[in-house]
Amino acid sequence: MDDYMIGVLSNIGVVSFVALSAYLLLLTGEISFGQQAFFAIGAYAAGIATALWGWPLALALAWGAVSGGGAAVLVGIPTLRLHGLYFSIATLAFAEMVRILFELFRYQVEIDGELVGPNGAEGFRGIRYIFDHNIDAVQFLALIYSLLVAVLLGFVLLERSQTGVAFRMIGEDATLAGLQGISVARHKVLAAGLAGALAGVGGGLYAHLTTYVEPRIFDVMLGVHSLAYGLIGGLGTAFGPLLGVLIDIGLLESIRPLAGYRMIIFGGIVAVLLIVRPRGLLDEKLVHRIGRLFVRSWPAKKDGRGKPA
Amino acid sequence: MVDLVQNTIDGLMIGSSYGLLALGFTLIFGVMRRLNLSYGPSVMIGGYLGTVVYLQFGAGPLTVAAAVVVGAAVAGIYVERLCFAPMKAGAAIASMVSSFAIWMQLEQAAILVLPRHTYAFPPLATGAPIELGPFAIRVDHLVMLGSALGLAAAVQLVLYRTRFGLALRAIIGNPVAAHLVGVDVRMVMPLAFAGASAIGGVAGFLVLAVDQQITPMFGMWATLKGLIAMMIGGLGSVPGAVLGGLLLGVIEAQSQWYFGPQIRDLVAYFVLFAFLAIRPRGLVGSMSEASTQKA
Amino acid sequence: MFEVSDIVAAYGKIEALKGVSLKVESGRITCLLGPNGAGKTTLMMTIAGILQPRRGSIRLEGAELAGLSPARIVSRGVALVPENRLVFPEMSVRENLLAGAYQRRDRAGIDSDIERMYARFPRLKERRDQMAGTLSGGEQQMLAVARALMSRPRLLLMDEPSLGLAPLIVAEIFDIIAELNRDGTTIFLVEQNAHMALKVAHQFFLMEQGRITFSGTPGQLAEDEVIQRAYLGTRRAVG
Repeated sequence: MDDYMIGVLSNIGVVSFVALSAYLLLLTGEISFGQQAFFAIGAYAAGIATALWGWPLALALAWGAVSGGGAAVLVGIPTLRLHGLYFSIATLAFAEMVRILFELFRYQVEIDGELVGPNGAEGFRGIRYIFDHNIDAVQFLALIYSLLVAVLLGFVLLERSQTGVAFRMIGEDATLAGLQGISVARHKVLAAGLAGALAGVGGGLYAHLTTYVEPRIFDVMLGVHSLAYGLIGGLGTAFGPLLGVLIDIGLLESIRPLAGYRMIIFGGIVAVLLIVRPRGLLDEKLVHRIGRLFVRSWPAKKDGRGKPA
Repeated sequence: MVDLVQNTIDGLMIGSSYGLLALGFTLIFGVMRRLNLSYGPSVMIGGYLGTVVYLQFGAGPLTVAAAVVVGAAVAGIYVERLCFAPMKAGAAIASMVSSFAIWMQLEQAAILVLPRHTYAFPPLATGAPIELGPFAIRVDHLVMLGSALGLAAAVQLVLYRTRFGLALRAIIGNPVAAHLVGVDVRMVMPLAFAGASAIGGVAGFLVLAVDQQITPMFGMWATLKGLIAMMIGGLGSVPGAVLGGLLLGVIEAQSQWYFGPQIRDLVAYFVLFAFLAIRPRGLVGSMSEASTQKA
Repeated sequence: MFEVSDIVAAYGKIEALKGVSLKVESGRITCLLGPNGAGKTTLMMTIAGILQPRRGSIRLEGAELAGLSPARIVSRGVALVPENRLVFPEMSVRENLLAGAYQRRDRAGIDSDIERMYARFPRLKERRDQMAGTLSGGEQQMLAVARALMSRPRLLLMDEPSLGLAPLIVAEIFDIIAELNRDGTTIFLVEQNAHMALKVAHQFFLMEQGRITFSGTPGQLAEDEVIQRAYLGTRRAVG
C-alpha cells in the first residue's frame, strides 16, 4: 500500500464516524446538520489531552467521546421538542456557534520551548502523539478500522436490541411510539448522546491522524456531507453510511482525471440515485431481503440436522 | 448613541436584502414542505451569469440585474425538476440531500466558468452618502431597501390578490385540497420555484452590487442568511420573512460594530438558536402544525 | 350517469382496489358502505385523480376520467369533499369558497354563487372573514361542501361527511345532502353511518377488502341478513 492509498483509507475511516453519527439520528427520524460540532469537540478534547496534558491516546479518545457525547446531551435537551426543519436548523446554529467559538479559543502551553495548543482561527497544531510514540501510518489505520469495526458491531447489536427498535419506532412515528409506552424524550437524548460520542471518537482520531485541526474544517459542508452519506449509501443498515463515504471519498476523490468535474458528476449521480432510491442504495427493503436470504438458508440447515424425521 | 442609531440604519438597509432572501426561501418551503439547500447556490448561479454579462459585454446595472434574476430562476427550475418534482411523497429527506448534491454541482460549474476566487461585480449606485444630521446613508443601501420593500409588497399583492397567489396559498395550506379544488399543482410548482428563486436573484444582485464582488461561496452565504432570517421571522409568512431579515441585519450591524465579525456571526447563530429553543414560530410565524412536521 | 368499471389501484405495494365496478344514476344519492380499510377512500381519491388507477375506467356521461389530472377532473364536473374536510386553514371562509371556484373564470357567476352559498349556509356568512382553521368541525364540513359546490359539479363526491361530528350536526349535514339532491345534484357518498345513509340514499354499494360485495336499494339492504348484523347492528332489536 502506498502512502496515498493509506491516506485515502484513513480519511474514509475517520469520516465514517461522523457519517454514522448523523445516521444514528436519522434512525430516530431527525435530520442533523450539526454532527460536525461533536467531531470538532472530540478533536479538540482528544488533541488537548495528548498534546497538552500528556494523556495516553486511548484515554484521550475516550475523553473525546465523553466530551462529544456530553455536549450532544446538553444541546439535545433544549432542542428535544423540536422536529423536522426546526431541529435541523437548531443543530446547524449550534454547530456554527461551536465552530466560531473554536475560532476564538486560545489555550496554549509552552512545551519544549514551543507554544502548543489551540490558537484561535489559526487552529491547533502539534498534536504529535503518533510521531512521539512511533506509531506508523499503517498502525494508525489499523486502529481506526478496529474502532470502526467495534462501532459497527455495536450498531448490529443496537439494531437487534429493544433500544434500537425503539429508535426506529420513534423515527417512524414519535407519537405512536409514545403511545406504545416508549419514553420518546429519554431515547432521543440517548440517541443524541451516542451520536455525539461517536462523532467525538472520530474527531479524536482525525486530530491525531492529521496532527493539526483548524476550526474552518468543521463547517456546514462537513455536516451536510455526513448526512448525505447515509442517504446515498442507504438507511437500511449502518453499512449504508460507510458505502456513502466510500463512494464519495474512495471512488471519486481518488479518480484524479475527474478533478474539476468531480462535483458535477457526483452531484448529478446523487440526484438521479435519490430519485430511483430515495432511501439510498442499501435501503430497508434491500437489507430486509438480504437478511431473509441468510435466515432462510440457515434455519433450513439447522432443521435438517435437528429433525431427522 | 450616534453609533447605535447609525448601526441600526445600516443594519436595516442590509437586512432588507436578507428579508428578500428569506422571502424566496419561505415561498419554496411553503409550497414544497421541503428544504431547498440549493436555493442560495441558484442565486449564486444568477450572480455568475450577471458577472459574465458584465465582464464580456460591459453591461449596465439593469442588464446585469436582469441576467442575475433570469439565471437564478432558470437554476431554480433546474433544481425543482431534478430534486423535487420526481421525488415521491414522503421522500422529503431525499429531496433535501439531492438539493445539496446539486449545490455542489452548481458551485463547481461556477468555478469552471470563472475559475478565479473573486470577480468584480458592477456597483449599484455611486455617489456621496446622503447626510442626515450626524447620520449618513449610502445611496446603494437606499436603493437596496427601496427595492426590497417594494418587491416584498408586490409579492404580498400577488399572493393575496391574484389567481396565481390563490393557487400558491392553496398549496401552502393543504396540497391535497389544492388538487381537489382544481389547482394544477404540477404546473404551479416549477413556476413557484422560478419565482422564488428570482426573488432571491433580486436580493443576490443587490447584495453583490453593494459588495462589488462575487465568489463561489456566495451560494452558501445566501442559503444561510435566508435560512436564519426565515426562521427568526417565522416560517411561512411574508411579513415575517421581511421582519426576520431586518432584525438579523440590525443584530449583525450592532455586534459587528462593537465586537467584530466573529462575534457578529456568533450572535446571529445564538439568536437563531434561542428563537428555535424558546419560540420556534419566530416573530410572526403563523404556519400551523403542517410546517412543524418533518421537513 | 357515472360509471366506474374494473378499477384496480394500489397504495404502495398493497392493492387497495381489486377490480371495482359500480354505477351512479344521475340525480340520485348513491352510498358506498364498508368497514375501515375496505378501500373506500382510495376509490374516492382515485376518482378525483389524486391516485392513478393501474387499470379500469371511470366515465362521467360517457367521457373517460381515468388518467386525467385532478384539475381536469374538476373542470369535467366532479368535485370531492374529502375525508377530514381539508379546508385551507389559513384562508378566510370567503377565500376558501373562491379557491373552490379556481377552475372558473366567470367573475360575476362566482360572486353570485358565493352569495348562494351564504344563503344556504348562514353560518358561513356570519364567519366569512374568519380563518377556516378556527371554525368548528361542523362548520368546516359545511365549508368543505360549499367549497366543492363552488366548482358547479355535475357529480358531488363526499367521503364520510359525518366523521367526527356530533349527532345533531350529522343530522344537519344529511339534511343538506338531501336538499342538494332535491336541487338536482348527483351525489356519491362514502359513509360508515349506515343509519343516516339509509334515510337519504337511493342506491347502496357495499365494499369489502377492495371489492364490491353487494349492491341494491335501501329495501334490499335492510333485508340482507349479513349486512343487517354487520352494519346496522342493533337496528332489528330496536325496530
